[in-house]
Order: sequence, then structure tokens, then C-alpha cells
Amino acid sequence: MSKCTWIFFRQVYFFISLLIFLCLLLAVDATASEPATSKVNSPGSELWMNVRKNMATGKVTSQVKSVDSNVLINSYAQRWTQFRMTQLINYGLIVLLAVFSIIFLFYVIRGRVKLSGGLSGHMVHRFTDYERVLHWVLAIVFLFLATTGLILLFGRPIFIPLLGHEIFSVFASASKEGHNLFGPIFLVSLILMLFSFVRRNIYARGDLTWLLRGGGIIGKSHVTGGFFNMGEKTWYWIVILIGLAISASGLILVSPNLGQSRIIMELSHVIHSIGAIILIAVSMGHMYLGTKGTEGTLESMKTGYVDIKWAEEHHDRWAKECHDNNRLISAEDYAKLQGKIIQNAKVSNAMEENK
Amino acid sequence: MIMDFIDGPFWYFSLIVFFSGIIWNMGSIVFALSKVDLSVSRGSAVSGAIKTIFTRFAADKGMAPHIRLQIIAGYMFHLGLFALLFFAAPHILFLEEHFLGFGWTPMPHWAFIIASEFAFLGLLILWLHRILNPVSRLISTADDHIASILTFVVMLTGCLALLESFTALRLLHRFSVELFLIYFPFSRLMHAFTFIPSRAFTGAWFGRRGISS
Repeated sequence: MSKCTWIFFRQVYFFISLLIFLCLLLAVDATASEPATSKVNSPGSELWMNVRKNMATGKVTSQVKSVDSNVLINSYAQRWTQFRMTQLINYGLIVLLAVFSIIFLFYVIRGRVKLSGGLSGHMVHRFTDYERVLHWVLAIVFLFLATTGLILLFGRPIFIPLLGHEIFSVFASASKEGHNLFGPIFLVSLILMLFSFVRRNIYARGDLTWLLRGGGIIGKSHVTGGFFNMGEKTWYWIVILIGLAISASGLILVSPNLGQSRIIMELSHVIHSIGAIILIAVSMGHMYLGTKGTEGTLESMKTGYVDIKWAEEHHDRWAKECHDNNRLISAEDYAKLQGKIIQNAKVSNAMEENK
Repeated sequence: MIMDFIDGPFWYFSLIVFFSGIIWNMGSIVFALSKVDLSVSRGSAVSGAIKTIFTRFAADKGMAPHIRLQIIAGYMFHLGLFALLFFAAPHILFLEEHFLGFGWTPMPHWAFIIASEFAFLGLLILWLHRILNPVSRLISTADDHIASILTFVVMLTGCLALLESFTALRLLHRFSVELFLIYFPFSRLMHAFTFIPSRAFTGAWFGRRGISS
């Protein structure tokens, strides 16, 4: 990515940091004058005790006729609450921290996986503009949903002790609105991703060998791969299948008036949360391998081109196809396509004009 | 104190900058048209202007197959933003209370959600295409990126404050709108006002010379 683009990413980062800082300031300012509330014992506690007692005998009915209208106290919800508070939050946090630690350790021990012969400078086209735009739309929306979702999930054990109830409530409200709004964009991007990449992600002969050798980590011999290797194909299907499950359960949660029962809502929440934690955990590995972990990989999603040496090392069958079909371009042509030579020519022309 | 500043002086300052900037820019365009064209007319300038205003809504036939993504995303974003700006209930209420004194029927909540999805997805696609496509990247300036980011932030803060339960979120949205209003007249965001006169000028120029545009 060009230096100019990185500067803009830094500007975006700075702007978002400034917004969060302002949000904190405004939240403190806005909540400072709100009066404190005092706890009062529920006056209807005896009534609800009797309702619970009669629920078991089926004596409790309601004038309202709709789904679950006769269920005045949902005992199943106690189990769901218990699961959310004691297992989902705790184990979810452990899984995410463990995956992060494993990736960090892997990086410390193994370091960046470099190309054995270095970069050749000869490039080959890998992804179209449309495919790259689609990938980054999905990635940005996913990161936004993951951040807001984790704020909502880990609010009580992590953020409330850090920020306090008043400030956290502002973040929670913003996260909920943002999460609900961006969810459908994730689903649309996911469906577009399904159709755009499915043909190249169907498992083929040789993929199992890749898996058995741990993608080249186990043993020293070269592991063969096509346009996508077994690991990439598996990541693709994880994103599609778990993504669809998360989206479907999310739509059930965000539309509570479609006639679904409370148990369906609770189950949807469990599927949504567990699916999201799995997807976030695996995405950490994808992000690491796609950026810092492997030399030359990020280029494919930045410019759409990869070095032929990278292709030969990670996707040798596809690299052979590129060689056979004469699809290689020189370093100079690649620079022209990226506008780098034009920019330099512009600069030198301007300098000559100034002379 | 910050709340008072955002709701008070900074709001009025941003409005002054916005409106004076718009008047200055549009005035400059109107006065630039004062030159009399002495050439013999070969066609109608008025019909050329009107025709071009509408024909430019569709992409050139030769270009269209190459820029499908930008066309679709462009329409998604602009139509979504237009609907959000003029038909979202909180905006209509705000305009009624602070500027116009009258309101109109807002769009239902489900339409608001769809319009937001269209606007966000469209803007994301357009900005990513701008930085990922080498040609778009080369012809883009800092102004284009700042305008895209600022528009996105305004839309985002607005949607985060959708519940209307927290003053902090409302103020954050208003603050981002104020930054947007201040930046607007000095940037290419001005195309929201200039696209019709620009098309009309081109159409009239060609129309008067009997050239199809």
C-alpha cells in the first residue's frame, strides 16, 4: 500500500481515537448532573411468588393470545442467564486470550515466514478490484461488529469496572445500535463473497496432504497447493457457514416481533455468541498470516498482484498454470499498472519545468 | 461546558461558515457566467442544458461496463443519504423546530434502516475502490479522503445515537455534523450544490453549438 494510503489510515486511526476520547468526555459531562437513584423493594414480590407457584399447575393464563403469552415467568431464561454469565463470558474470554497468546508465541518462536529465494519482482494477477473491495468491506464490517459485540458481551466483567455504569451505558447503547445496523451489511457482503469465491474453494485432490502436513509446518518437504490451499478453503467455509449462522440468529434477535418464542430467542443468542467467538478467534489467525505472518501475502489484497515466487512457494499448482498461460508481468509493467512510474515521471517533469 | 459549546457557539459558527461558503461559491459561479457569447447559435442552449441535467444521471455507454461497481455503489450511497437526510424522523423534527416551522411525513423505521444500510455499504465500497484501484488512487486527493471519512463519521455517529437516550451520543453526532458543515464549502462536497449548474453549463455550451452531449 502506498505511503499516502498509510498516512490516511493513520488519520482515520487518529480521528477514531479522537471520537472515542470526545465520547468519553461528553459521557462524563452528560452524566455528571444526573440524580442518583435509590433501591426500593419490589411491591409485587408476593404476587410473582404466587404466579411462579401456579405456573407449574397450569393455572396461570393471560387474556392476551400470542406466542408465550401464558408464560408469565420463563424459568428456562434462568438457565440461559446462568450460562451467559458464568460460562459464555468466562470461557469466551479464555478462548480469545488463548488464541491471541498462541499466535504471539508462534510469531516469537517461528518469526515471519519468509520466501526462501526472496522476491523475484515478476508479478502475477490474483484478485480483481471487485474481489478486493468485497474482501475489505467484509473485513471492516466484521471488525466493527466484533468490537461492538465484544463490548456488549464483556461489558459487565471488564468495561463496567473500568469505566463505571454511566459511561459504559453510553458505549453499550452506541454499540447496540451500531451492531444492529451493520449486521445486515455483513450478511449482504457474506452472500456476495459466497458467490464470488465459491468455485475456487471447493475441496480437491491434494488438499488432505496439505492438512496432514499442517500447511508446511510439519516436515521440511514442500506442500503443494492450487489457487487456494486447504487452510484458506477451510477459513472460507468457516466464514461462510458460521457467518450465515451468526447472521440468521442475529436477524432473529433483532426482530423479536416475528412470532418466535423466548426459547428460540435464547437459543439464537447462544448460537450468535458462540459462533462469533469462534469466528473472531479464527480470524485472528487469518489476520496474522495475511499480514505479519507470511511475506508477500498482503500484496494480493492490497494491489491484486503477487510475486511469482510467493505463488510458487504457497500455491505451486496455480503458479504453474500462470507460467503455462504466460500471465507473468515484469516489475516495470507492474509499477506502471500501479501508477508508480507515472507518478515519478510527473515529479521529474515538474522538476524539469521548474529548472 | 463542552455540551454548551457544541449546542451553542460552535453550532452557530458552523452554520455561518456553511451558508456563507455556499453563497460565496455559488455567487462566483453565477458571476462567471456573465460573459456574452457572440457566436451564431446553431441550437438551443436551454434545451441542451435541461437535457444534459437528466442524461448525466446515466453513465456513458462506453464507460458503463467498466464502472458498474462505482455506478451501483454511487447510487446506493447518494439515494440512501438523501433519504436519511430529508426523511428520517429526527431530522424532520429538527428542521421543523429550528429552521422551517413545518414538517412532513417521515419514512417508517424499516425504511430508515434500509436507507442506512444502502448509504453505509455504498460509501464503504466507493472509498475502498478509491484506495484500491490504482487509477482512482492516482486521481484522488486528500480532500476526497477527508470528505469520505467525514461523511462516514457523520452517518455513523447519527446511527449510534439512534436510540436518542443519551445526550453524549447526540452531542457527538452534532459535533461531527458541525465539522462537516465547516469543511463542506471548501471541499468537493460542494458538488451537492454545483452538479446541476455544472451539467446545465456544459449542456448549454454544447447545445448552443448544436453538439449532442
